[in-house]
Amino acid sequence: MKFDYYSEAQLLQVHEASLDLLKKVGISTSSKRFQTLLLDHGCIEKGKRILFTQDVIDKAMKTVPAVFNLHGRNDLHRLEIGSKKAYCQTLVGAPSVIDIESGERRDALLKDLEDITRLADALDNVDIISPLFPRDVPQEIILTVETATCLRNTSKPLSICVESSRELKFIKELLVAVAGSEKALREKPLATLPVSPVSPLEFGFGPAEALLDVVEAGLPLGVEPCPQMGATGPMSMNGLVAMHNAEILAGVIAAQLLKPGCPLTMSSRATFMDMRTGLALWAMPEMGMMSAGLNQLGRYYHIPVAPGGYCGSSKIADMQSGYEHLYNALMEALAGSDIIGSAGSLDNALVECFTMLVMDNEISSVVQRTIREFEVNEENLAIDVVAEVIANHDNFLGHKHTRKYLRSGELWIPTISQRQTFEQWAIKSQKVEDIAKEKAKNLVATHQPAPLGVEVEKEFTKIITAAKKALM
Amino acid sequence: MANEEILRKLSEGVLEGDEVQVKEWTEKAIAAGIEPLEVINDGLTKGIQGVGALFAAGTYFLPDLLLGAKAMDAGIKVLEPLMTGQKREFIGRVLMGTVQGDLHEIGKNIVIMMLKTAGFEVMDLGIDVPARKFIEQTRDFKPSIIGISALLTTTVGRQKEIIELLEEEGLRKKVKVMIGGAPINQNWADTIGADGYAEDASVAVDVAKRLLGLVG
Repeated sequence: MKFDYYSEAQLLQVHEASLDLLKKVGISTSSKRFQTLLLDHGCIEKGKRILFTQDVIDKAMKTVPAVFNLHGRNDLHRLEIGSKKAYCQTLVGAPSVIDIESGERRDALLKDLEDITRLADALDNVDIISPLFPRDVPQEIILTVETATCLRNTSKPLSICVESSRELKFIKELLVAVAGSEKALREKPLATLPVSPVSPLEFGFGPAEALLDVVEAGLPLGVEPCPQMGATGPMSMNGLVAMHNAEILAGVIAAQLLKPGCPLTMSSRATFMDMRTGLALWAMPEMGMMSAGLNQLGRYYHIPVAPGGYCGSSKIADMQSGYEHLYNALMEALAGSDIIGSAGSLDNALVECFTMLVMDNEISSVVQRTIREFEVNEENLAIDVVAEVIANHDNFLGHKHTRKYLRSGELWIPTISQRQTFEQWAIKSQKVEDIAKEKAKNLVATHQPAPLGVEVEKEFTKIITAAKKALM
Repeated sequence: MANEEILRKLSEGVLEGDEVQVKEWTEKAIAAGIEPLEVINDGLTKGIQGVGALFAAGTYFLPDLLLGAKAMDAGIKVLEPLMTGQKREFIGRVLMGTVQGDLHEIGKNIVIMMLKTAGFEVMDLGIDVPARKFIEQTRDFKPSIIGISALLTTTVGRQKEIIELLEEEGLRKKVKVMIGGAPINQNWADTIGADGYAEDASVAVDVAKRLLGLVG
């Protein structure tokens, strides 16, 4: 892409450190299946740890697809994960929202999930939708309900984070119901399923089993641990990157050993801790810098990456949120990002906010504009145009070259940023976040997603009933 | 060397978070015939109080607290076998754990360390702790406070389950329940009937003291 965080030599040093960790420290898991898979392929058991060997690493890393497609439930949305397009993905798992009317933080409800999913469906620069965590649905079947709610309220691709295999069967059934068949879902996956092991280098039982089951289900996997500098990872940024990379690679390797060629993303969440309060910070600049380094490693491996980036520590959609989200997302995009997550988030990815999602849509637009590929050629260098304008004592405004490039999208077109004259602005004197809030309200009130078919709805009802019966 | 000098070295060692120095000077203190309780009260505790003061003043950060607590522990380890019949005084007893299905512990561990620093006796049940285990240890350890941690939005419901079980077992009135974890807020604490919630580790100490009536 455009930006290297590490020099070539430094990148190799970090890469080697990650391999060292995999070989000397390894991972632990209480899942027998996960242990057996790794050991059968040549990993070594040492005490409670499983150590990787160079052979296993080489063998598994070879089969990771560099690119895979992610689909919406209609043909409007087809994303090429692996070609560094910086697709914008909404925040996963927020237990709270900022109420769009009162501006107060409160528990997230099912109605909020419906509304924010429809809002994300309406926003052109939001590409993938991940659900918040509604508190007013039975928690035993929460992921099943979330998946169904998202599918009803958007036709865009989804990302459903699973912490165990408990509800996986029903999530998959819902996706199959929409895709038409299991085969259709495999060919055109409608969702990625990130799994979150625990830092440092611990796969537990739930995450390990979920990882294997997602791969077996033929759905694209995300390997998404979330270490914090100085708490669950080293205080040095390079140390955290090396360890985080190692734990992600461990998941990548396990997935490839189970099913060579299975699609996946390295979904880093490189965070840090406030050393006074102990709060986990998803802020800047450290998160953006470390993610840029991790993205560069992903590029080196030819493995798609999906860090969180539309995030910061601010509690409201204000100027701080604006610069935090732009900093992290742009750093990541410049270093080569396939997906950038956490859009619409506030307060270290713990709160979802309608206004912020509209702001992030704007930021995503400029981020994606920034990394658009371009050529340098005779025509856009425009020497002849300059010469001609000067020779004719003319200006560029009336030149056909100007019109041509204007029409081809040379200028970024903002969706909410204010650029009119001072006088025009002064009529309403609105801040951009006020405009974002208005836009959010309008879209929530009016936007209708493409509906699901009657048959699919019937199928959904059956699946949810079955999930209740099995899990509650 | 004068006893005051030895005790001063001990409190300095804790303040610096220097385990080696604390262990060494604790041994010297014993050799000089200082009573274990005096070593704790006039050496180690003075040091950890200094750590707490520097933290409150904004000079020290969480790693300084942790290293101070570790250094103090190094001294306590030397003293404990010698303290038959003598009892350390604590300001309260706390049972802590992360709920079943949740493997996250860093937040819980910070709170434990800060509680210990503040003078609480703490039993740590670790991570992935079934509700039953909380009940059993409430009976055996007899804490005045139970602290229940959960990080995942999918596991916070377990906090409610534990409170309900305490109720069923007739233990609820005997203990105060505190909850914590990134997705937790006061509203959730109210919903499930927890006595206390703290948004970060130092507030947790204040809440614990308040629940036990130690501060106004």
